[in-house]
Amino acid sequence: MNLLRDTWYITLRDLRSRIRMPVFIFMTLFQPILWLVLFTQIFKSLGAMPGIGGGVGGSYLDFFAPGVLVMTVLFGSAFSGFGMLWDIDTGVLSKMLATPVTRISVIAGRIIATVVVLLIQALIIIILALIMGVHIKTGVPGVLFTFFLLSLLGLGFAAFSNGLALLLKRQENVMAVTNLLTMPLMFLSSLMMPPFLLPHWLNTVRQINPIDYAVVGARDLMQQGYIWHDLWLCLVVLAAVAVAGVTFGTLMFRARAE
Amino acid sequence: MAIIETHQLTKVFPGDIRAVDGIDFEVNTGEIFAFLGPNGAGKTTTIKMLNTLILPTSGSAIVAGLDVVKSATEVRKRIGYVAQDVGVDEHATGKENLTLYGHFYRLDGKTIKERVKEIFDLVGLTGSENRMVSTYSGGMRKRLDLAMGLIHQPQVIFMDEPTTGLDPQTRASIWEYIRDLVKSKGMTIFLTTHYMEEADRLADRIAIIDLGKIIAMGTADELKKSIGGDVVTVSPCEDKDEACKEFIRRSEAVLTGKPFVTGMKPTDGELAVYVNDGASAIPTIMQLLSGQGIEVKTITMSRPSLDDVFLKYTGKTIRAQEGTRTTFAQIRRMRDRRQQ
Repeated sequence: MNLLRDTWYITLRDLRSRIRMPVFIFMTLFQPILWLVLFTQIFKSLGAMPGIGGGVGGSYLDFFAPGVLVMTVLFGSAFSGFGMLWDIDTGVLSKMLATPVTRISVIAGRIIATVVVLLIQALIIIILALIMGVHIKTGVPGVLFTFFLLSLLGLGFAAFSNGLALLLKRQENVMAVTNLLTMPLMFLSSLMMPPFLLPHWLNTVRQINPIDYAVVGARDLMQQGYIWHDLWLCLVVLAAVAVAGVTFGTLMFRARAE
Repeated sequence: MAIIETHQLTKVFPGDIRAVDGIDFEVNTGEIFAFLGPNGAGKTTTIKMLNTLILPTSGSAIVAGLDVVKSATEVRKRIGYVAQDVGVDEHATGKENLTLYGHFYRLDGKTIKERVKEIFDLVGLTGSENRMVSTYSGGMRKRLDLAMGLIHQPQVIFMDEPTTGLDPQTRASIWEYIRDLVKSKGMTIFLTTHYMEEADRLADRIAIIDLGKIIAMGTADELKKSIGGDVVTVSPCEDKDEACKEFIRRSEAVLTGKPFVTGMKPTDGELAVYVNDGASAIPTIMQLLSGQGIEVKTITMSRPSLDDVFLKYTGKTIRAQEGTRTTFAQIRRMRDRRQQ
């Protein structure tokens, strides 16, 4: 019971401080929105190509919008650990750990709050895409399914990022590793181009990139429909990402809290 | 009755760094107990073992009747912790910070409301409860930090360098709060400090710690009396160079064995001479030294401070003396007055 109570209060604390800095929520949204608006203009003429809009129908926007959702969640969750670093540096974490608070709630609450904020951001992106004329094939249930996939992705990466913060302790190092991981993860995927238009090597590499599974799953749901053989694989891979991330984060936290 | 009790408490960090090296002490209920020592002496490490943040390498510690390793969660319920860093959340109001800790300490909503009101009053923050902490001054943050360690009315409060970095006025007011707490709530305070004045004026008993070991323990008066009399500090040089060291060595040799000298400690550029009566010793010291061709540049007299105690036991100063120093001119005036 204490576990749930403590997690709830820490989630609330984290959400509250984020909501008090709405500037920050919109600042992190600025980049995905820019991509959504600019890329769909730049690549507009690709809309009729097979694998993008051709065959299945739709535009480059329909093809690209799910990728922007994944990108938003990836970047938002990969930087979640910086809040933990702040708490370590300012002594907030030590002070909390000297109370009877359930240890694991301290990291769990922060991760849950990160995922909640990411879903709010994803919702803003979807609303913007709808305004721009995106067509979502599976409607509201498909969007909810997409959100579930995004939650798994966010959970895994947020937990991983917090674990990384606890492991490396220094802001510069966490920043370097985070940048080193997120950029290739984004580009080594079918986020911008359909798989069969990618060079052979990239098409091979993307298959070991968890981000690609999220992109494929979200794109299936939003643009093409329930393609279950893709979706099952996506669910399994993202669930594994979530479990791996949470395990790593928990272990690092245990090491810190002794 | 002892509320804190350690037995051969030791913490060794990787690289065989013995931060705390087998310390034994007891703190009695309702006492203000201070750990005094320079930075790196092992004060914070001791506090973190006592408040369950780090595990001892060996030895044991009992806090509020419970073992800090075996019953960590139970110990946490009974203690408050005020760290050196002010661990308050900037992006929340004072009340939100305090309420969160009320939940952590498993208090019910009604009790939290009452305590929040009471504690804000106690630390003098009434009226600022609903302001964001980011608008608080340094002193206000420290007081909030203190309040967060008090909401569950702990039996023991651990304070790590409670007034480091605060202006003298805020420091004095924090001392007031600490004394009030002990008086009104019967709490026990364990604090660390490198300010001699803080230990001197606030603590009932003091343990002087250096290089992970307790080197002396007692009330401030007991510790000072262990030196006896006055401290006359002689400096035969202006620059701290080799020649100066030589002068100090020679001065020490001259004064060695003189009946009025109870002890001596050479330091960087100075020689501390412990005597029973400083005013009568000064002319004698001057005479003896000038007789050997050692020219005294400055000579000062002071009552023994905790720094002198520290100097006597370790051969080092915690930092340059302050406050109670008497200048050469004042000594001459004292002597003149005596002669009249």
